[in-house]
Amino acid sequence: MNDFRYSYGLKRHILIIDDEEINREILGNMLKNDYEISFADNGAMAYEMLKDHSLKISLILLDLLMPVMDGFEFLEKIKDDESLNAVPVIVMTSEKPAEVRSIKLGADDFIAKPYDSPEVILARCERIIQLYEDKSIITSTEKDHLTGLYTLEFFNEYIRQIDSLDIGKSYDALVLNIEHFHMVNEMFGRKAGDDVLKMLSDLLSDTFKDSFSIGCRPAADYFYFYLDHNDGYDKIVNSVQERLAGFSHIPKIHLRAGVYFDADKSLTPDCRFDHAKFACDRIRGDYSSQVSVYSKESYDADLYHEHLINDIDDAIANKDLTVFYQPKYFIQSDKPVLKSAEALIRWKHPEFGMISPGEFIPLFESNGLIQKLDHYVWEETAKQIKTWKERFGYSVPVSVNVSRIDIYDPELESRLTGLLKEYDLKPSELMLEITESAYSDDAKGLTDVVERLRKIGFKIEMDDFGSGYSSLNMITTLPIDALKMDMKFIRNMNRDEKSLKLVELVLEIAGFLEVPTIAEGVEDADQIEALKKMGCDIVQGYYFSKPVPPNDFEEFIKKELNKH
Amino acid sequence: MTVDNLRDFGANVDEGIRRCVNNETFYLTMVQKALNDKSFDQLNEAVDSKDIDRAFEVAHALKGVLGNLALTPMFETVSEMVELLRSKTDTDYSIYTEKINAQKKQLEEYL
Repeated sequence: MNDFRYSYGLKRHILIIDDEEINREILGNMLKNDYEISFADNGAMAYEMLKDHSLKISLILLDLLMPVMDGFEFLEKIKDDESLNAVPVIVMTSEKPAEVRSIKLGADDFIAKPYDSPEVILARCERIIQLYEDKSIITSTEKDHLTGLYTLEFFNEYIRQIDSLDIGKSYDALVLNIEHFHMVNEMFGRKAGDDVLKMLSDLLSDTFKDSFSIGCRPAADYFYFYLDHNDGYDKIVNSVQERLAGFSHIPKIHLRAGVYFDADKSLTPDCRFDHAKFACDRIRGDYSSQVSVYSKESYDADLYHEHLINDIDDAIANKDLTVFYQPKYFIQSDKPVLKSAEALIRWKHPEFGMISPGEFIPLFESNGLIQKLDHYVWEETAKQIKTWKERFGYSVPVSVNVSRIDIYDPELESRLTGLLKEYDLKPSELMLEITESAYSDDAKGLTDVVERLRKIGFKIEMDDFGSGYSSLNMITTLPIDALKMDMKFIRNMNRDEKSLKLVELVLEIAGFLEVPTIAEGVEDADQIEALKKMGCDIVQGYYFSKPVPPNDFEEFIKKELNKH
Repeated sequence: MTVDNLRDFGANVDEGIRRCVNNETFYLTMVQKALNDKSFDQLNEAVDSKDIDRAFEVAHALKGVLGNLALTPMFETVSEMVELLRSKTDTDYSIYTEKINAQKKQLEEYL
């Protein structure tokens, strides 16, 4: 700090208050090389100068016996003035009784008269200024100005100190956040937002006042509390929220909290609160829950997901992600005939081994990365269809998944037609599967896209039919080329009457729409027999084959060719 | 006026100059300024009118200045006077003012 000031030629400012000009000048002469100096003849004049605040005074040197307003009166006057009492005062006197009285009035040090050597005086001034500046740096960084809670750095330090005094007590790490706080700022103004933060901080401190707790506001609308173990956070958070609503004119403030019970003291304070914050953020936007408890399982799952998200590009580049093919057979002939296949993604992770699509597909669907995956599968599939065509002179149409996010991609059509062109395929060879729930989300927008794709010649299969919420009315207007029945119905059809009825119903609907039905998840001959009888056209499932790598799939092609 | 004059007078010139950050000229200027200080007149007035409180006030201020300038003989006279005034001792203070006036005159002769 000192170096900084000197290198920029900045000097601190000292105010000398003495009615004797010669004393003022001698003192000023001692200090003028190191400080900016201002003079006042008496306390009243000095008080006016200070009140003006245009001078940033770092130190006051005060004589005691002066006309108009003496040193004691001056000390009295600034003692209770918050804007002035932060400036240190050195009293110039040689009289002991005056020293005691000055100290009681807030003086910080004394300079004797006649003055000591300039070196001594300079050193005393420097020391007092340094002391005050250090103190003010500490108080200004220790506490958050708005709420009076600790800043993160000090909060963590105090937790470390508590750790070092460990008396075997268990403490919880609690993180609170205001849902959509930025909206409070935007709708009611920054001042109102600050008021809410201050109120919340006061309410929390009040709530925890009877037990041990320390609090911090690390950023914006997050609050951290390290406190005695407690089982009633639901009640506490709810009551704080209600009290907050009572004080504030802002309606509908929703608090959410994450708690890491009995926080592991072998973790750093930062890490303990990362866990609690993780729990807190898991329920972001979920207005039905208010308190989320940290668990290692959910944390690990989240870390794992993070891992997968980070690895997707490498997985594509290194071909850890590969496309498998599951055959679909036409069963309404004497013997089943290979009709087509479905392309399914498989991930062999270098660290985690085979990862189930059930783990990564919903994850990538939720964050949009599924599009990357889809594009990869489409390309690999198109390439494969071409390879088989060239190798066997036989075309096996393959269906690929088109995710919700792809449908709203303006490049969708050009991308797909580009693939047809590149791999010399007919649109009917690359079939598209769209899940039923995508239809019910935005039927109109989706219908338009599907209509355009069908016009190009693509065949559209509605996937997972029966799992979504399509209205019967909507189904009649859907532009589709096949219905794929949700595999839950097939799985239960031989066990449960309701599922069987539903399968019949879907087949009837397909009949009404004049489109073929595909049954997924077919595992045994009984199911095949029943489906065949009910008029189901195409079957996919372990009965015929699990999804297999391209090389293995070629066996099915060869078998089919041998029939002819 | 020279530092030798002041030394002859009995001033602790070294101490005074050191207090003035070793600036001799500045020291001499301050001494000359002190001789023009209205406190001397005020002290005479207060003593003449037997206003002990006022005399204390002025003497106290003068003591501070003379001490800083290390004008020892004069400083000692004033200091003695201050202590008597502080305890409101009933005495003839004109003895002191006359002595101070004489010391002042001696210094003024160096000008």
